[in-house]
Amino acid sequence: MICSIKSPVERRYVIRMWIAAALCVLFSAVAALVFRHGHPHGALSYLVAVLPALPIIGALIYTGVYLAEEKDEFQRNLLVQSLLGGTGGILAVITAWGYMEDFAHAPHMDLVWVYPLFWLFAGISYGLVRARYR
Amino acid sequence: MKNRLRVLRAERDWSQADLAQRLEVSRQSVNAIETGKFDPSLPLAFKLSRLFETTIEAIFSDES
Repeated sequence: MICSIKSPVERRYVIRMWIAAALCVLFSAVAALVFRHGHPHGALSYLVAVLPALPIIGALIYTGVYLAEEKDEFQRNLLVQSLLGGTGGILAVITAWGYMEDFAHAPHMDLVWVYPLFWLFAGISYGLVRARYR
Repeated sequence: MKNRLRVLRAERDWSQADLAQRLEVSRQSVNAIETGKFDPSLPLAFKLSRLFETTIEAIFSDES
């Protein structure tokens, strides 16, 4: 999403996001292994299942921290508009898909797709917003 | 919003990157402000006026 990293704040944000993504992959693998071999029950199963979501929550917090730390108001504006695009895009998709599931018996969409789709829409928005300011 | 940034910059022989460095913003920010596509906040407008040693009104003008 951020093609040319200029400021230390931006660099820190990108590094944090990459760490969060790596932890998400790692925790997903750990959770899958635990459920395949350990068969956890009760509270432990919820605890293990929620592991991959923790870095994702962290990434969302990092995004808020970036917006607070970024001194360049134009760059901040670009990200805010992109995040609005991402939020609107994902809300539109899951709402439409929900109705399609209810009425037309469309295949169930797993909620884990919400987060990557949000960033997909945010990325598309970022490109469109950047193009408007060129 | 119309502005005289390009002229003021040219008078000092500054590139967009030079101005961006002085303002501590990205070059894209300077370009967006200069082309009138992005209106700066009041603090940034004051920073510009201090940098060019003039008033905000001398840099920016309301199109209406």
